[in-house]
Amino acid sequence: MAKTTRNQSDSFAAAPDLFSQSWGLPPIVRDWFLSRNWAPRAHQLDMLEADRAGKSALLIAPTGAGKTLSGFLPSICDLAETPHEGLHTLYISPLKALAVDVARNLINPIEEMGLHARVETRTGDTPSSRRQRQRFDPPHILMTTPEQLALMLSHQEAPKLFGNIKRVVLDELHALALSKRGDLLALGLARLGTLCPDLKVSALSATVAHPEMLRDWIAAPCPQREVAMVTHQGGAKPQLSILASDDRVPWAGHSAQYAVPDLLNIIKDNGTSLLFVNTRSQAELLFQSLWELNEDSLPIALHHGSLDVEQRRKVEAAMVAGKLRAVVCTSTLDLGIDWGDVDLVMQIGAPKGSSRLLQRIGRANHRLDEPSRAILVPANRFEVLECEAAVEAAEEGAQDSEDPQPGGLDVLAQHILGMACSDPLDADAQYEETLRAWPYRELSRDLFDRVIEFVATGGYALKAYERYARLRKTADGTWRISHPKVAQQYRLNVGTIVEEPMLKVRLVRSKAHKRGATTGPIGRGGRVLGEMEEYFLSQLMPGDTFLFGGEMVAFEAIRDNEAYVSRSYNNNPKIPSYMGGKFPLSTYLAERVRATLADPTSWKVLPDQVREWLSLQRDVSLLPGKESLLVETFPKADKYFMICYPFEGRLAHQTLGMLLTRRLERDRAKPLGFVASEYALAIWCATDIGHQFKSGRLSLDELFSEDMLGDDLEDWLDESSLMRRTFRNCAIISGLIERRHPGKEKTGRQMTMSSDLIYNVLYEHEPDHILMQATRRDAARGLLDIERLGHCLKRIKRHIIHQKLDRISPLAVPVMLEIGKEPIFGEGRESVLVEAAEELMREATGQ
Amino acid sequence: MTSAAVRQKQEPVMLSFGGQDFVPLLSGALYWPSQNALLVADLHLEKMSSFAKSRQFLPPYDTKATLAKLERDLTQTGASRVFSLGDSFHRDEGTTTLLPHDRELVTSFVAHYDWIWIAGNHDPSAHDLGGHCCDELFMDGLTLSHEPDARFAPQIAGHLHPGARIRINGRSTKRPCFVFDEARLIMPSYGVSTGNLNVLNPAFKPVINKDEMRIFAIGRDQIYPVSAKYLVKG
Repeated sequence: MAKTTRNQSDSFAAAPDLFSQSWGLPPIVRDWFLSRNWAPRAHQLDMLEADRAGKSALLIAPTGAGKTLSGFLPSICDLAETPHEGLHTLYISPLKALAVDVARNLINPIEEMGLHARVETRTGDTPSSRRQRQRFDPPHILMTTPEQLALMLSHQEAPKLFGNIKRVVLDELHALALSKRGDLLALGLARLGTLCPDLKVSALSATVAHPEMLRDWIAAPCPQREVAMVTHQGGAKPQLSILASDDRVPWAGHSAQYAVPDLLNIIKDNGTSLLFVNTRSQAELLFQSLWELNEDSLPIALHHGSLDVEQRRKVEAAMVAGKLRAVVCTSTLDLGIDWGDVDLVMQIGAPKGSSRLLQRIGRANHRLDEPSRAILVPANRFEVLECEAAVEAAEEGAQDSEDPQPGGLDVLAQHILGMACSDPLDADAQYEETLRAWPYRELSRDLFDRVIEFVATGGYALKAYERYARLRKTADGTWRISHPKVAQQYRLNVGTIVEEPMLKVRLVRSKAHKRGATTGPIGRGGRVLGEMEEYFLSQLMPGDTFLFGGEMVAFEAIRDNEAYVSRSYNNNPKIPSYMGGKFPLSTYLAERVRATLADPTSWKVLPDQVREWLSLQRDVSLLPGKESLLVETFPKADKYFMICYPFEGRLAHQTLGMLLTRRLERDRAKPLGFVASEYALAIWCATDIGHQFKSGRLSLDELFSEDMLGDDLEDWLDESSLMRRTFRNCAIISGLIERRHPGKEKTGRQMTMSSDLIYNVLYEHEPDHILMQATRRDAARGLLDIERLGHCLKRIKRHIIHQKLDRISPLAVPVMLEIGKEPIFGEGRESVLVEAAEELMREATGQ
Repeated sequence: MTSAAVRQKQEPVMLSFGGQDFVPLLSGALYWPSQNALLVADLHLEKMSSFAKSRQFLPPYDTKATLAKLERDLTQTGASRVFSLGDSFHRDEGTTTLLPHDRELVTSFVAHYDWIWIAGNHDPSAHDLGGHCCDELFMDGLTLSHEPDARFAPQIAGHLHPGARIRINGRSTKRPCFVFDEARLIMPSYGVSTGNLNVLNPAFKPVINKDEMRIFAIGRDQIYPVSAKYLVKG
């Protein structure tokens, strides 16, 4: 295969039989292929054929299949055959970096063909003068993001700009479709379908469990167009293995410290490796441990979302230039940007879902015909099981499935305001159009009308705000914005990504290291390491140490909008972790893990130490069944423990823990606390809970009955800070409260505070308000995993097996080790007050 | 990891200040038995609706919620007098934007109770809702005013919305609180639409002596006296 640059050679096959065929391409396109000794791939021609047959198309292909260029081949051919005035193709990607990357890869072939076609990008970084110009003088092909599409659609000239458009190309649709950004995009597409009924939509997606769902998604805005499904199977199967370390796999923990020497050896033996971890803190820890042992000074870099953009760009550039041997990274590198040659992917810690694993493996080697290589590195014994399940799933090409949820009402509110900014809004027509956005296909007219009311005057039962209305109904029955400022407000608020309030982290010289100065201002002007969540930083004490940007730092102070840290020479971080990017175990993998556990004949693939552990569990207690729930009880250190093994992920277990302790408290079993892991839940009580189950005073079936998801859940939700955070997101997206803008707005914490207060008031006085409905839907889905818990409770109904033990079981060891290990941030905690008051009482009474 | 703690119940806490005994309430009010009076500060009525003019339609229920809180406290304590220590309204115009049922409730309050509105920086003007409007109140040797002022002692004031972040063994919680020293007691803000400011903020420095600082933090089911050594910033 002739190779010039990787991108192109991988995107097109070598021409098998020179000059013998034209593949139905226009001459300049065909000649371009021939001049390079390439041939278009079959799926690229299939996409072209679909387009020529007047169909929309969905291309499902693994990473590296020349997917992006398959999306554009129909546009290139059409432009080569028929001159076109105005915007021809709109390309939408989930990442602005991806839009820029793809534009670069498209401009070269177009120039080499001598094709008259202008390609431009439009992202948040595009200068406003150019964005302005693009609205009146658009390129032929415009690369942009869902947010920019929403902005363009909110302008008056949208009908003119998009009226003659031929194609929309949606890249990485699997990453967008089921999110709120997907909702926004679907609404934008529905509007495009109205402005331009001739539109064809092409979508590119990685392999997914339910391609027919994506097909319906792209078919919705232009129902008269058939959708062709084009599937590209990919070349060789990936080669997957699990790290076989001579060291013991630990019982608990997520850092895989034991494997660091092995990892270094593997890095040494390969070209460039990507080391994927699941959280930023794991990335930090691993990066540091690698460097501690990196005697050969192999160039190993760190890449995660909290790092300073410039630093990330540097790492990316070094990657592309082939200067790095390894990068420790998080999901920021999941999506399809081409950073260069990757020989090996290592997944540290269990991958949590087979789809994510397949995506990550796809990063190794973008050459289709050679197998990708990946090594999974379990961080603890349970993860060994999970890794085995993931490998099996990946080898079968099995995908996790995520259930689609109805479109967000907050996103709809934002969109409706945008549409009213563009043109007076006819409610009937807008409703019809909204139904053509796939996530909203079942939206009731009543709910839709309530969203309009919300946008107009807040949607309260009281008509308190009529005179300040944002939208007014005019004599002709249409809704118009009441003032041009409303459009300005809208444009500042566009988008569905609401960040946690972040602070810049700046490295300064420590007070303690400054000679002669023990007080006075901390030295300013150090370099910025990146950004971190304010709620984490605001709870640190000066001197607290943690890992950030690959360095051990000590917290100094928060000044204005920056957190000052200094270099620390301490070896162990005092604060073990910070949040961000934890994934729950996918249902699909959880099922496989349960199946493996229940069936000892399947253990032969497991390492000896894990097999011994499970055998021991079988001998002294029971193995968790495939469909049943094992509950163990035992006394330990004057407390009584109850451990259950639902394997439903930490979030679902935390919710379960909150609800069970509530019930146990009501049953006077005196629960003292609980801890949740990915696999199990441990609750400890002051009374002998095992005895109470045995004697029948407590019933396990009643304890775990599904009705806990009713009243108990409602009660807990009221107090839950998760609910408040979800509300804040809905309030911002829907435009109820304003988004923070750098240097302009109040600080993030004040905004959180005020949204909490709004939540409280609304909860008490209008709990059925449209935004409360939106919040409950989101909370049930994203944060609490309630649906999953519901399925679990249903599954185990009358299948709960109680095992009363004298002491801790082998399987319980990992979750017991979690107790007291990680502090939790941001929760209101009454026990802190109790302790503080007790201490004061002791002081006061002289004890 | 999330862990749950079991609640404990205790007897109501008393607060002695300026030679008088008070009962701090979970609502943030202070009941003064010898005067049979309820003290509240910073109601900030009509705060949410004040955003409407910039087309931010926050739920117009905060006034109703704050008044309902007040009604509960009045019923529970059996107080016959109310001293509202300033910023009763989020802005002077608030007295005109009251929704009908909120206005009715305020009217019935001032008819039934001996009601004093002390002026605050948010609501400096006197109004005609009923009750008495004044700048300061002197009573039983105490000065009741909106802003803490080092010239008066002993003084009870509001204005600063004190809150305490308490940290023990690496875990922390932030709660509104009563903060006082020998000379001054600063009440937490009462309105449901108000936030709070950490007592370690420099704003408290001129008016509360840090070495004598005492904190009564508002918990879920009771008031907790907390040692100042557990206070942290943030």
